[in-house]
Amino acid sequence: MKTIKKFTHIDARTVDEAASILRAGNARILAGGTDLLGTMRFEVLPDYPEVVVNLKSIPGLDSIKEEASMLRIGALAKLEDIAKSDLVKKSYAALAEAAHRTATPHIREMGTLAGNICQLTRCWYFRLPDNRFNCVRKGGRQCYAVRGDNRYHSIFGAVKSCFAVNPSDTAPALVALDARIKTNKRLIEAENFWDMAIPGSTVLDADEIVTEIQFPKPAPGSRSAYIKFAIRKSIDFPIVNCAASVLDGNARICLNAVYNKPYRAAAAEEFIKGKRITEESAEAAGEAAVEQARALPGDRNKWKIQIAKTMVKRALLACA
Amino acid sequence: MPEEKKPEDIKKKGSGNVSRRTFLKDAGFVVGAPAIGTMAVSAERASAQDKAAGGQSGAGDVTAIRTEAARTIQLTVNGDKYRFAVEPNWSLRQLIRDEIGLTSPKDWCGGLGACGSCTVIMNGRPVLSCLTLACECDGAVIETAEGIAKSGHPIIQAYIDHNAFQCGYCTPGFVCTSKALLDRNGDPTEADVRDALGGNLCRCATYQQHPPAVLQAARELKKT
Ligand SMILES: Cc1cc2nc3c(=O)[nH]c(=O)nc-3n(C[C@@H](O)[C@@H](O)[C@H](O)COP(=O)(O)OP(=O)(O)OC[C@H]3O[C@@H](n4cnc5c(N)ncnc54)[C@H](O)[C@@H]3O)c2cc1C
Ligand code: FES
Ligand code: FES
Repeated sequence: MKTIKKFTHIDARTVDEAASILRAGNARILAGGTDLLGTMRFEVLPDYPEVVVNLKSIPGLDSIKEEASMLRIGALAKLEDIAKSDLVKKSYAALAEAAHRTATPHIREMGTLAGNICQLTRCWYFRLPDNRFNCVRKGGRQCYAVRGDNRYHSIFGAVKSCFAVNPSDTAPALVALDARIKTNKRLIEAENFWDMAIPGSTVLDADEIVTEIQFPKPAPGSRSAYIKFAIRKSIDFPIVNCAASVLDGNARICLNAVYNKPYRAAAAEEFIKGKRITEESAEAAGEAAVEQARALPGDRNKWKIQIAKTMVKRALLACA
Repeated sequence: MPEEKKPEDIKKKGSGNVSRRTFLKDAGFVVGAPAIGTMAVSAERASAQDKAAGGQSGAGDVTAIRTEAARTIQLTVNGDKYRFAVEPNWSLRQLIRDEIGLTSPKDWCGGLGACGSCTVIMNGRPVLSCLTLACECDGAVIETAEGIAKSGHPIIQAYIDHNAFQCGYCTPGFVCTSKALLDRNGDPTEADVRDALGGNLCRCATYQQHPPAVLQAARELKKT
């Protein structure tokens, strides 16, 4: 096994201390490490971090608690603990199921919610060891997926010429449940949290750290669901996933792994508004969701359009 | 039985490019005024840690950097206590295999986190030792397949009875994952077992044999 290259490791004691280390230079945050250490071992990125700042040494960042108006999940809460939490299962079904369907039991035992929403794309050109494809997402000139094998790439176009998709399983649940992401600097609506960055996937500043994810308490009668399509039941990243929440004829629907960031299916929400959710209306909402979808030249990723449509349909039916 | 190793027995494998202290010191120059307070605290902590680790405090001095790059941790593996000076970039798998000499954490995927053959139980959780940093394991209680076998846990006989392996390469990982499940859930369903083992791959495809083996071990445990 390849040994991870040298770096300096610092156990942060407070979020402020961690942020000041990030401000100082080439440093990276380490939560569960299931994504970061892989990119370091295989030297995926052009610049290797000099310093790794461990957040797990900061006490109190891993709680899951419900208050009068919201559920508050600490940045370091483990996916497995979220998936198993009765509190989460009871009122935030889409999140519990999304956490449960993420990766493998081991990775859920190690991986955190903040790490999951901040993880880097799994585009295979981006991820090839030793930075063999210095793509746009790493500051290079082109997206290799355009002319290469793009069967898993975006069906809703590029962001700054990058066709990679966001692979997070929990991200669409955050959007569907209208979560807020709290950092050491601000409170960000889930919908505005992701963006194409070099090499990141969020709008976070270099010294910004997620401390908590807040979910408004669902109104009585609301329902939420999460559906994932992957090649295998366990281990695999989503080909397409979808989370939905429904209350009184209004739905919030979010797809992921179809675009550079989680994709809110606004057209489907509009279509289903005020309608009863039935086999037919859910199907039609799915069709509306992918109306703007386009396969890349060569149609290799065309199959994902059909899957995205079906994911929307199934997520809605699960809320009916 | 491995003896407890002292930090001085551990060979130093070079040092990182930057030491904690020099990084923090440089940081003091880079960051703006508001951050300096925090950075100063950090620098103090760094030198306190150096002293605790027996390092010298001369800035930029090579010995100090080396002392600082390695960190002393204590951990319990299969009931035995160890103390090690570990480099920041060592994985737990590396520590268990190369320093302690227990070879059950295997490697199939090369350290991607994708195969489960390096699984160990850490503080009750099944974790991938390839993606766990050794320096973060201070105070950890770890079990490997060797320890589980030595303790006479019924999962071992159940694996034998059900031929739940062919070449056996993946078996230590499966054994650790199964035992972690049984520790938490004394009465698992077959679905629970399949779910729990979803991160362990077997290239000989022995998958069907695992659930009955784990369920047998669960029944055995209930008898005792
Ligand atoms: C084999 C394998 C399969 C996987 N399958 C899936 C899957 O199916 N679905 C899925 O969604 N994911 C999958 N993953 C990705 C997995 O790494 C994440 O699910 C996991 O949740 C990441 O969390 P972590 O705590 O380990 O993150 P880390 O590796 O510690 O961090 C990930 C990134 O987020 C940043 N970060 C972490 N915490 C913070 C914070 N508080 N503030 C700011 N930045 C932060 C880090 O700097 C880093 O860039 C898989 C990973 C592997 C190795
Ligand atoms: S070696 Fe494959 S998961 Fe650790
Ligand atoms: S028994 Fe051969 S890999 Fe599982």
